Amino acid sequence: MTAPLRPQLGNVPGFRDLLPHEAEVLRDAQESLLAEMRRWGYRHVITPLVETMDVLDLGLGVEQRRRLFKFTDARGDVLALVGERTVPVARLVAGKLRTAPLPLRLCYAGPVLSTDESRFQHRRETYQVGAELVGASGPVADAEVIALAARCLEATGIRRYQIDVGHAEFFHGIMDAVSLPEETKAAVRVALAARDFVGLEALLEDTPLKSAEHELLLKFPALRGGPEILDAAGGLVRNRRSEAALAELAKVRELLLVHGIGDVVNLDLGAIRDFEYYTGVIFEGYGPDFGRPVAQGGRYDGLLARFGRPAPATGFMVQLDLVSEMLTRMVPPRLDAAIAWTGSGLSHALRLAATLRLFGMRAVVDTEARSVDAAKDWWDAVAASNLLYCRDAGPVTWNAKGKRARSLPAEQVAARLAGGDA
Amino acid sequence: MTVSIAIPTGALHSGALDLLARSGLARLTAEDLGRRLLAESNDLRVILVRPADVPAYVDHGAADLGIVGKDILWETPGAHYELVDLRFGGCRLVLAVPDASRLDGPETWPPLMRVATKYPHTAGAWFESRGQAVEVVRLHGSVELAPQVGLVDGIIDLTATGRTLRENQLRIAAVLGSSTARLIANQASLKTRTAPVQAVVARLREAAGDAG
Repeated sequence: MTAPLRPQLGNVPGFRDLLPHEAEVLRDAQESLLAEMRRWGYRHVITPLVETMDVLDLGLGVEQRRRLFKFTDARGDVLALVGERTVPVARLVAGKLRTAPLPLRLCYAGPVLSTDESRFQHRRETYQVGAELVGASGPVADAEVIALAARCLEATGIRRYQIDVGHAEFFHGIMDAVSLPEETKAAVRVALAARDFVGLEALLEDTPLKSAEHELLLKFPALRGGPEILDAAGGLVRNRRSEAALAELAKVRELLLVHGIGDVVNLDLGAIRDFEYYTGVIFEGYGPDFGRPVAQGGRYDGLLARFGRPAPATGFMVQLDLVSEMLTRMVPPRLDAAIAWTGSGLSHALRLAATLRLFGMRAVVDTEARSVDAAKDWWDAVAASNLLYCRDAGPVTWNAKGKRARSLPAEQVAARLAGGDA
Repeated sequence: MTVSIAIPTGALHSGALDLLARSGLARLTAEDLGRRLLAESNDLRVILVRPADVPAYVDHGAADLGIVGKDILWETPGAHYELVDLRFGGCRLVLAVPDASRLDGPETWPPLMRVATKYPHTAGAWFESRGQAVEVVRLHGSVELAPQVGLVDGIIDLTATGRTLRENQLRIAAVLGSSTARLIANQASLKTRTAPVQAVVARLREAAGDAG
C-alpha cells in the first residue's frame, strides 16, 4: 500500500502536474503542431500569460471575461491571466506589428486559464496551440487554415480524425428570415447555444408563420453530410445571406479536395458556435474516442477592428491537452537503452551511451557498478527497451525484452540499435 | 455500427424500457437489465445507470445517447444536445411549505428564505432570478421531513401526483418548472457517427410521438 499523499504535496484544484510520459508526449505534440504551422509559413509568436483587462475587455464576451483570473498590480491596473490566445495575437497585430504588411500568418502555443473548472476533466489550466491568418478574406484563406488544421492533427500522429465545416452566415441568414419577435429570437439563440432542441421546438411551435427556415432550425443537429447537403439546404433557404454562405462553402470544399483532405472533411450546416464572434466559415476537428472537438476555429472578421486595425481574419486552435491525452494512451514511453557496468566497464558504458545519443537514441548510464542480476532489476525500474551490460573488457551483454541475451562488441550493438534492430 | 444509450434506474426506468420496446429497438425486462447493467440488442447497447449519472455518461462519450429527466438537466447542464421530449415521466418541481405555514406567494416570503432540496443549483438560481435571498440546504433524501422539524421554511422537490407532499402535510406554494423524460445526445457522436445515431433518434422520436 502506498501511503496517502501529504496534502501540501498535491496540486491546487483544477491544476495538475504532468508526469514524465505525459509531459514528453505533450511537448512532442506541441512541437509537431508548431513545426507543421511553420512549414505553412506561420511565424511563431509568444505573447505573455498576463494581459490588462482593458485589452481583454475589447475582445471577449461577458462569460469569457467572468471566467478570467483577475488581479491588480502595484500600479492599480486590473490584470488577468489569459483564457485564450487569439485576442492577445489580435492586440499584437494591431499594436507592435501594425506596420507589418497583411496578410500575416502567426502561430502560438501556451497555457490558458479559467476560474471555472472545465466540464470534463475539472481543469482550470489547459494548453492551446493555434494559428491565425490575419488580413485575408475569402475561400482560399478559409481553406488554407482548415487544411492546415487537418495536417496539424495528422502531424501529431492522431489517426482517424475528421473536420466538420460550417458557416456562421448560414445561421445569421436563417435568423434574419424567420418571422419572430426580437425577444423570441433572443430565446431561440439561447436555446440553440444550450443545444436545447426541445426548448427550441416549443418556442417555434407558438409562432403562426412557419417558413422553410423554421424547419431548418429544428433540423440543425442533422444538417450534416457531404456536398449533397448544400443542394438540399439550397433548395430550402430563401434568403440571400444563407445562399451566399452555401455558395462559399461549396468553393471551400472544392479547395479542400485540392488540398488533399477531401476524405476527412464533412459539411455541417448545423454547427453551433459562438455566433456573436464568428462571421464566416467555421470548423471543428474531432479525433477518435473523444466526446468533444480537439480543434476548432473559423473566421472572425470583426475582432481586429476593435483594436483599431480593421482586417479580416481566420484561425484555429488545437486543444493540446486533449490531443496529448489521446496520444499518451497510444504511444508507449520511450527509453532505448539502460547501460549498466561493472569495474572498468564504466568507460565502455560512457562511450557507448555517447554513440547511441549521437544517433538520436535515448540512453541512460547507471551511476553505480552492479552485478548482472542487480542490473536487471535496475533495467526494470528505469523501463528501458534494452539493457546493455559492460564489463572490464570484451563484448557487451545485450538484453532485449522477450529475447535471449547476446554478446556483441560495443560498436556492433550501437550499429544494430541505431539501425532499428532491437 | 453499435449505438449506445444510457437509461436511468428509478422513476423513468420502466418508461424508458417501454419506449425502447415500442420503437422496436430492444426488448428488455427490468429484471434482466438490472442484473447485467449492460445489454446488447441488434445494434443497440443499453447501459443502466443512476438517473443523475446519465449526463456524465453522455457528455464523456461513454454513451452516444441518454434518456434523462429534464429535472436532472436543470441541475447539471452539460455539453450534450437535448433532442427529443419523450413525453413520459411527467412531474413538476415545486416549492412546498407546511400546510400550517403562512408562506405562499413571493410577497409572503421572509427576507431570507430557507429551503431544503436535492436540487440546490436549480433552487438557488430560481430564487436569485426573483431577487429573493435564499439559504439552500442540500439534502440527499426524505426532503419532506426538513420543514416539519423546523430545519427550513419549505422544500424544493419533484412531485408527480402530490401524494407524498399531502402525506407530509405540505402544500404547493409555487411551481418552478415542468419536467418530462428527454433524449440527449453526445455532440461528437452526432458528428462522427451521424447515420446510425440519427437512425436511433428517429425511431425513438416516432415511438415517443405515438404515445402522446
